Amino acid sequence: MFKDLFGNFFGRQGSREVAKKRLKFALVYDKLEVSDDLLNDLQRDVVEVISKYFEVDTSAMKLDIKRSDDLSALVLNTPILSAKRR
Amino acid sequence: MEGKIIVVTSGKGGVGKTTATACIGAAMAMQGKQVVVIDMDIGLRNLDVVMGLENRIVFNIVDVVKGRCKIKQAAIKDRRIDNLFLIPASQSDNKDSLTPEDIIRLSKSLRGRFDYIFMDCPAGIERGFENAVAAADEALVVCTPEVSSIRDADRIIGLLYAKSITPKLIVNRIVPEMVARGDMLSHEDVVEVLSIDLIGLVKMDDKVVVATNTGLPLVLQKDSEAGNAFHRIAQRLNGQPNLPIENSDNGKGFWRSLGRKLRRRN
Repeated sequence: MFKDLFGNFFGRQGSREVAKKRLKFALVYDKLEVSDDLLNDLQRDVVEVISKYFEVDTSAMKLDIKRSDDLSALVLNTPILSAKRR
Repeated sequence: MEGKIIVVTSGKGGVGKTTATACIGAAMAMQGKQVVVIDMDIGLRNLDVVMGLENRIVFNIVDVVKGRCKIKQAAIKDRRIDNLFLIPASQSDNKDSLTPEDIIRLSKSLRGRFDYIFMDCPAGIERGFENAVAAADEALVVCTPEVSSIRDADRIIGLLYAKSITPKLIVNRIVPEMVARGDMLSHEDVVEVLSIDLIGLVKMDDKVVVATNTGLPLVLQKDSEAGNAFHRIAQRLNGQPNLPIENSDNGKGFWRSLGRKLRRRN
């Protein structure tokens, strides 16, 4: 603790803190990665739910993860053929 | 007898899984429990040399699973430590020689024969890992205070949670001087990043290398800090969960981590 303060006082950041920051970032980033299998499963489930309400062209449906520096978004694009009347 | 199966794993290789398995198994046997340690690293067997039992191998784990011998024939008895047995890996097969179902089937007879069954898991997250964790009741994740090891530990912890196993963490090869200097992650840092419970802290200890060189059990050396740390881990596993974790920086760190633990409980 004393040494930490001392180190910072002289403007030296221990590699320990660097390691901790890099690790935390890496772990968050790792968890945003989605496997193809998971994406395929999700698409199958989504199709099932949407099909209850809409007639959709499943072959043209696209499910993707868009990633930028500060956020990840799940993007679903699907042509609607018709709404189901109930 | 209804034995407990504990898998020792890490994701990354070379962080001390095999040494930890050998030491904790031996320490547990010294507490009077019937213990078997099983080398699940098929094709890359090593637990036998670490334990100094390499010249007594007749049968191996694949032989047992394939029914070519009985558990009793494959389990090598350690002559220095009572109640300690080793079932070595096969050196000529590969990881696909076994399936998780094989291990689950085998686990029934193992549980009937031993109090504790320690599985030394191979590095990686493929079939070897699946086999080693298939029948596990508990898991110990070993990591060193390095970013690569911790990142892999995080991945393994996620996989274990998916199998409904809540693992406990062993931080291995801590160098207190480097932590104090601010050049090594402390065990508190590691616990914070991984957010799982710590069960043991093992300092860097030259005696580990010597013990592996000679094949003499580290836990028989009274003056080995690492050996003592492994004894404490065995005690914590064996009905003394509240035994203080020997800490790496002269008492201060321990009280701080205890304080944090209490705060988290409330």
